[in-house]
Amino acid sequence: MPATPSAIPGGKTASGERTAPGVRIGGLTVVYRTPAGELPAVSGVDLDLPPGTITGVVGESGSGKSTLALSLLNAVQPPGRISAGSVEIDGLGDVVALRGEDLRRARGRHVGYVFQAAQNSLNPLKTVGRQLLDLGRSHGVGDLRALVREAGDLLGRMGLDGARVLDSYQHELSGGMRQRVGIMFALVLNAHLVVLDEPTTALDMITQATILRIIREVHEERGLTTLVITHDLGVVAEVADRLAVMYGGRLVEQGPTRQVLGDPRHPYTRGLIQAIPRLVGDIGEARALPGRPPTLATIPARGCVFRERCPLRMDVCESEHPPAVAHGARLVSCHAVEAVTAGARKEQA
Amino acid sequence: MITGQGITKTFRQRGGVLGGREVRALRGVDVAIARGGAVSFIGESGCGKTTLGRILAGLESHDSGEITIDGVSMASLRPRARRPYFRRIQLIHQDPYSALNPTRTVHQALTAPLALRARQTGRPKGWIDERAAELLGLVGLDPGYALPRYPHQLSGGMRQRVVIARALTVDPEVLVADEAVSMIDVSLRLGILALLRDLRERLGVSVLFITHDVATARYIGGDGELYVIYRGQVVERGPVETIISAPVHPYTQALLSAIPVLHGLEVPGGQAVTPVGALEEDKHDAGCLFARRCPFATGRCTAEVPVLGRTGDIPQEHACLHPERRGVVAMPAGRA
Amino acid sequence: MSSAILETGGTTAAMRRDFWRGVWRVMRRKPSRLAGAVILLGFAFMGVFGPMFHPEPLPRDPDEIYAPMSAEHWFGTDGQGRDVLAQVVTGSRYVLLSALVTAVITVVLGTAIGLFSGFKRGRWDTVLMRLTDMKLTIPGLPLLLVLSTVWSFGSAVEMGLVLGLLGWGTVARAVRAQTLSLRERGFIEAVRGLGLPTTHIVGRELLPSMAPYIAMSMLITVTGAVYAQVGLFFLGVLPYEADNWGVMLNLSVFGGGALTTTAALPYMLAPLLAILLLTLGIVLVVDAMDEIFNPRLREE
Repeated sequence: MPATPSAIPGGKTASGERTAPGVRIGGLTVVYRTPAGELPAVSGVDLDLPPGTITGVVGESGSGKSTLALSLLNAVQPPGRISAGSVEIDGLGDVVALRGEDLRRARGRHVGYVFQAAQNSLNPLKTVGRQLLDLGRSHGVGDLRALVREAGDLLGRMGLDGARVLDSYQHELSGGMRQRVGIMFALVLNAHLVVLDEPTTALDMITQATILRIIREVHEERGLTTLVITHDLGVVAEVADRLAVMYGGRLVEQGPTRQVLGDPRHPYTRGLIQAIPRLVGDIGEARALPGRPPTLATIPARGCVFRERCPLRMDVCESEHPPAVAHGARLVSCHAVEAVTAGARKEQA
Repeated sequence: MITGQGITKTFRQRGGVLGGREVRALRGVDVAIARGGAVSFIGESGCGKTTLGRILAGLESHDSGEITIDGVSMASLRPRARRPYFRRIQLIHQDPYSALNPTRTVHQALTAPLALRARQTGRPKGWIDERAAELLGLVGLDPGYALPRYPHQLSGGMRQRVVIARALTVDPEVLVADEAVSMIDVSLRLGILALLRDLRERLGVSVLFITHDVATARYIGGDGELYVIYRGQVVERGPVETIISAPVHPYTQALLSAIPVLHGLEVPGGQAVTPVGALEEDKHDAGCLFARRCPFATGRCTAEVPVLGRTGDIPQEHACLHPERRGVVAMPAGRA
Repeated sequence: MSSAILETGGTTAAMRRDFWRGVWRVMRRKPSRLAGAVILLGFAFMGVFGPMFHPEPLPRDPDEIYAPMSAEHWFGTDGQGRDVLAQVVTGSRYVLLSALVTAVITVVLGTAIGLFSGFKRGRWDTVLMRLTDMKLTIPGLPLLLVLSTVWSFGSAVEMGLVLGLLGWGTVARAVRAQTLSLRERGFIEAVRGLGLPTTHIVGRELLPSMAPYIAMSMLITVTGAVYAQVGLFFLGVLPYEADNWGVMLNLSVFGGGALTTTAALPYMLAPLLAILLLTLGIVLVVDAMDEIFNPRLREE
């Protein structure tokens, strides 16, 4: 469903057509103020979202993945703040430097955001349609009729009865329907960069599969750059072209999804994959990861963030943070992986 | 041994876009959980699997049908006399955050039911603390660490272990785990599943596992029975591995198709089944309940009511007029 | 550290010690809370011991009628030459004791009825809530005026009793609402499923969860009760049997003309200041209740 250019002004080119923007996150650090001082929830994250791709960020609670997502909108709330780094979005510049009205306009117009638990992020006292009009007015949309038509089309595209849903209150919609309404809100202002935070949490498998299919189809049809934040490797495996694994505020491994899943290098990625019970093969092969994920207060300040739970832990992991090293199309941050690769190289020589 | 026969339950609801003045949550379900066995219910949210679990645990009333626990019919007992029977069936909540009282320590949470038990069985006071520590050890927690803590000081996984330990204070025969890992960090989920599996082996408790994820059901009760439930009815029933490897009901096939494929590690099954529309829109009661969402439905399906049973050489029970095996499950990439 | 927890963990004495340590931590977090606590302690001291430092009846000095504020008489004297500050002190016992009795009765009755109603639901709930609604619709002040014609309210306990019996309605409603929402929580269902008796569920599971609300209503009821009885005495509907802040206000305004002349102004201001200070102390302490009774907030 092509957007109606006349209704939605503010496009990048004169014709109103916009292309998927690329995003370059560089050295991003987000800290939270706590009684114990400022603690980093995200530290030194480098991540590129190539135009037109779907990138999945996988992490557990406390990995900093939601904070990372909020940084794309420069929407980290106090006591948190972006303390270093940049988020360059094509056509928008460095979001970290944006302030006030510019920032507010960028949200929605350039960056669409589907909140975590979008099922509960609608106003229970207003119909979906009224909330849509509120959104339109707050972004100065001139032609509200066209906006409603666009919303109806989007909902129809996602298999819903647009008119009926726009007339509904939150409690009249099922979880899967609300999730689709959330996606509609993110796209209706013609944003071409979309961030989805846990888009399928609390949905059952069939609804999840439907939502994931919709995400993929809408992504292609509208020419988007999409970032999916999730704790579920399966979700990323289904939709994402590229996968980034986050742990303790750092990216430990990133690369093309199939490569990372088919041949995981970082011990955390390996552990995560091994911890998923599968439908075929020896079910006894599934292994739980020992220990538990760190919280803001227990993320080690020095050395590797994963070492407490790592089977390959070495002395150097205590003191030095492993740098991200390229392995083909992939970046891996692990001392043990480097030691093995270095060993292999020596043998070959 | 717990059995339920012909259990029905109807909820009356207020209106809305989803319509439904009445929701028939269960339409005559038979279920049996053997001692030490594992039974898994799978289905979409809203299919009635949770309601059935709660009815079996005595937490919800049912409209008709009969529940027997160890041969005793619950209908023949007064409500007060049923309690000790239903106490043998303990529910593990989905949400370990609301299942523990935030104002009470783990020690308090465990010793309250243990103290009651000690009084009933004439055990000495010292037994209470001993048993509390023993149970925590059993669920993989360090008693010294966990006992004095409040729930907020524990991770989600630890809390769920405490919830399980608390359920074990009354020496239950059945643990009903309703989506027991869905709110727990991914890296910790398997640990909880492994614990439930372990408890089956070590204590001989049965596990009733309620989930929408067949793979986790396979992990806990691979040797047990699988019930596939759609709109309050069992549509396929049989050994877990049999159904996973060769499902015949299109709804089961849809559930299995919906499990994400780990591309790179696995290849899709090739015959994925996608249901039409959504559960909450399916209101027709004539014929097969799944007929309107079934991509393979024929005219016969909307007219004739299929009955759960065995046909031909299909080993499991099913309620489909046109049962057919389809390759819906993803295969390991190497083997394909 | 962990071995220390192991040793102290579990025993009730240790838990009580941890609780009070937590309370101290919460109070220290904001100086305003400590200030509030000091004020309240001051009032308690005044109510208990204050009257012992003053003769009964207070000495009159006919030469010093409506004397201005001075080093000898901090708040001047009244129309009979009695020291105003001494009257505030001696009057405090009646005011504070009756307010305390009111608060205890209000909270105990309100909590008990609310808990019972919310937990049992059904017929009992309907009956009790109808009763509560009826009580809430009766206007308090006119009823008190009527009651005062048949009752002299000579003792503080009587006064507290009457105000308490009139005031439990709102607390009962709120406690019932909280009980209804708490009983749907997983942990209540779990302890029921374990076969724990109702006394345990209500006393050990529900009540502690409502503790912050109960403590807050108790403190706020104290201020309400002070206003109510001071108001009654001020209106002069009750006989001047006891020294009371309300009586002082009444005499200063209607006897001394404090609103038109300056002579009796300190006489009026002294009890007003006392009431203000007491309210301030309570407001400052109420702020800490949520953190005191929530183990998570207590610790952070």
